Amino acid sequence: MFLAAFTSSSPREVSLDATLLSRLLQKDVSAFEQLYDRHSRLVYGLVLRILQQASTSEEVVQDVFLQLWRNADQYDSSRGPFVPWLCTMARNRALDHLRLKSERQRRREDQPDELPSVVVAPDYEKALDEKRRAERVRALMASLTPQQKKAIELAYFEGLSHSEIAATLKKPLGTVKSWIRNGLLRLKEGLQATT
Amino acid sequence: MKNCDQFRELIEAYALGALDPEERSQLEAHLETGCPDCAKAVEEARWLVCQLAYTAPEAAPSDMLKGRLMQTVRAEAQSQAKPRVIPAKSVIPSWLWVGVAALLVFSIYSAWNARRLHDEILQANNRAATLEGERRKIEQQLALEKRKAMILMDPSSVKISPAGHDAQGLSLEAKWNSQLGVVVMGERIPMPAEHHVLQLWFIPKDPKAKPMPSMMSWPDANGKFVMLVSNPPESMDNTKALAITEEPEGGSAWPTSTPRWVAGVS
Repeated sequence: MFLAAFTSSSPREVSLDATLLSRLLQKDVSAFEQLYDRHSRLVYGLVLRILQQASTSEEVVQDVFLQLWRNADQYDSSRGPFVPWLCTMARNRALDHLRLKSERQRRREDQPDELPSVVVAPDYEKALDEKRRAERVRALMASLTPQQKKAIELAYFEGLSHSEIAATLKKPLGTVKSWIRNGLLRLKEGLQATT
Repeated sequence: MKNCDQFRELIEAYALGALDPEERSQLEAHLETGCPDCAKAVEEARWLVCQLAYTAPEAAPSDMLKGRLMQTVRAEAQSQAKPRVIPAKSVIPSWLWVGVAALLVFSIYSAWNARRLHDEILQANNRAATLEGERRKIEQQLALEKRKAMILMDPSSVKISPAGHDAQGLSLEAKWNSQLGVVVMGERIPMPAEHHVLQLWFIPKDPKAKPMPSMMSWPDANGKFVMLVSNPPESMDNTKALAITEEPEGGSAWPTSTPRWVAGVS
């Protein structure tokens, strides 16, 4: 099924996450540390891509994981795997921070040397699985037209709406809507085809 | 009004968060109707959008972030793991506290009730004393009225009237009973001056003897004047006349004004 194709982790990884989360509900510090080690790079990369600033991104990531520690019971494992849920929470927090930052007009340019480097995961197999998934999604995104890719990235990483993207790209609203919808449908087809 | 197919065109953008407010409201209103196909499509679109997280360059947060997080998490875990301090159980059982509280309430009520009863008793005693005083006053008044009536009706009583016309206009007359006393009474008697009183005098026959002061009184609001002298001189023989003068309140030992009424006795 389509949904099964989109589970972002292998069954073994899903099971490990579920085990760690059940221990987290018992306030197991070790389980929390393992979850952090497994997913902090993905979460931090996503937040950093949105906020473009290392120190602020770390603050957001800290908030996300503390939220996980304090309110792990808010995650309903019956509704889906853990990683997409965690990424959704991180994206929402980062976009909230970005909008707040934009409202206050205090966005600053980040220093180049503050950008973190890509890391190699200690768990080779897991890192390989995640790496493969990332490569697959990135390859599919790269296959989109530049306009489709740009419109989707503006929406996903900057939280812009159709109208805001049209204004940013100076393109008609209907055109932007088509770029986003067609691009996402192409991504969907590509993911279905490669699983 | 959009149909289901038109809504389906919005679902990917909805999951992405790219819909403008109006379209988002329309789609959410449609989803609230419980359309199963669109709900499933939204769920699938959300999964699709989640995959975009992998397009962000993976990056490692600093070791300091992990250090801060673990420090916070360990501290919170320890604070939650600490056994709750249960207050030492009181050596006094709860039922005894309840009893003490009830006793305290009863004592306060009793004290309040005793005070209330005490006040009521005092008020009743005051009312009784007042009534007793009024009763005695009435009895005395009754005795005086009885004596006055006896003096007026007794055939042995001697009527004493002014010898001639009273220039002051005081219409008074007296009756003297050697056993019961003297009654002086009249109608339409004007009030004496302020802070003054009408005083009765017994004028002796002996020119060297001074007038004997007697009772003092005022006419009532209707001008009625009644004076009862219970202990007049034992014999009328030594009394030349009765006189009434206007004296300062409290009376005088010697007449200080011209008599307003004089009546010869013998």
